[in-house]
Amino acid sequence: MAETDRFLGYRRSDGTVGVRNDVLVLSATGLTGPTARRICAAIQGSKTVSMPYDAGVLGEDEAAQHRALVGLGRNPNVGAVLVIGGNPPKVERIAEAVASTGKPVEALSLDDCGHDALVLTDKGVRAGAKLARDVSSQRREPAPVSALFLGLECGRSDPSSGLTANPLLGLIADRVVDAGGSAVIGEATEWLGAEHLLARRAASPAVAQAILEAVRGREQLAMDAGVDLLGHNPGPTNIAAGLSTIEEKSLGNIAKSGSRPIQSVLAYAQAPPTPGLHLMDAPAYAPESLTGFTAAGAQVMLFTTGVGNSFTSLLAPTLKVSANPETCARLDVQLDFEAAEVFLGREPIEAAADRLFQTLLDVASGTATWGEILGEGEEVVSRFGAAL
Amino acid sequence: MTLAPTWDAIVLDEADGVATALRPLEAGQTIHLRYPGRIAELTVSEAIALCHKVAVTDLEPGEPVRKYGEVIGEASAPIRRGAWVHVHNLRSLRGRG
Repeated sequence: MAETDRFLGYRRSDGTVGVRNDVLVLSATGLTGPTARRICAAIQGSKTVSMPYDAGVLGEDEAAQHRALVGLGRNPNVGAVLVIGGNPPKVERIAEAVASTGKPVEALSLDDCGHDALVLTDKGVRAGAKLARDVSSQRREPAPVSALFLGLECGRSDPSSGLTANPLLGLIADRVVDAGGSAVIGEATEWLGAEHLLARRAASPAVAQAILEAVRGREQLAMDAGVDLLGHNPGPTNIAAGLSTIEEKSLGNIAKSGSRPIQSVLAYAQAPPTPGLHLMDAPAYAPESLTGFTAAGAQVMLFTTGVGNSFTSLLAPTLKVSANPETCARLDVQLDFEAAEVFLGREPIEAAADRLFQTLLDVASGTATWGEILGEGEEVVSRFGAAL
Repeated sequence: MTLAPTWDAIVLDEADGVATALRPLEAGQTIHLRYPGRIAELTVSEAIALCHKVAVTDLEPGEPVRKYGEVIGEASAPIRRGAWVHVHNLRSLRGRG
């Protein structure tokens, strides 16, 4: 990697750099989801995320949901946010936390609109349109690789993921971390059987302990539920594709993290306190895992697949990478990067890493991913407990 | 025209009991195995799908099965060199609630 490697991004007033410049219509409560979709449909180029819950969510669950909503609003790819919800305290608390980044934020609630969703729609479209005009004045500028925060994901994995595609992501993670940027892997169940290798790379004994505890917690969850991980993780699609055990899947999974020291174990949707490589103790299912990364501030996702997986983050462009030759031949408008030649021994992995790094900079600079073009993106916030 | 690779399956570590098929393999086929730094031959006793595993050593029930040089589970049935290794004869040691 050259010192001069740059991408073109949107500089935010908090020092972060967006790779997209979206207006986000953020529905903080289940009651306002349909209104958020109406507002989003009326404002060209806006995106919407809806939290389907509100009242009755408790404790850690409440904290995680608040952290996720605020984090999605704070993500550097979001240029401005319209927060809507049931009542003023709810929307204002989120709006204030998002506005501390310096980006424009508006907040509206049903209570302020005579409990009339159509009035909220009208006010929301007008407020959102002004935000959209505001963000449209921003321009891309050269930015260093150190401004990148990568989310590293795999889904519908097969053994080609662990052999080739995930180690390829690991090389990219190392390059970004070495440049002063950040990267995160989650899917804590898929550390099981490989946790000793992760713990060995912990930046401190406390981080090593946190890694082992996270894995113990996930394994205990399966045991307490009386669940055999086989059939759940690896799931039926993984098994049909050739993965036999969670240990085999995990050893392939962690290759995504590259080789650099692990700085911390983050809670779901928690922003990393420092640059570098981090783990997130989060569920493995891609929709909620990716949202954990987006809410933590990741601007770009690198997502490997064995047999194919169309799902992407809504707010962070998600590059789909596969090394399975049959998959690469089949999914020409799903995969953003093909590494089958590496799997087959015809291309050195370092050469593929050079190609993927350039693709990453291109996408960070505005080149669309297939998932963006086809509208495969959603954000799905995890639930962790029972509600009142 | 692209060059065909000179191996059909890959063994990631000398300690491994399994290789991963880089192409579909047929029963009775003699294949080239790529080990780190060397090539070996193996006769496959049953069909192996792309990406699935083939035993490169005999494995007895209860014996650890390695890939990446790490334990991925234990043999749950006798496995002969050249056989398909999957959920019918390899079992995880973790998360079996």
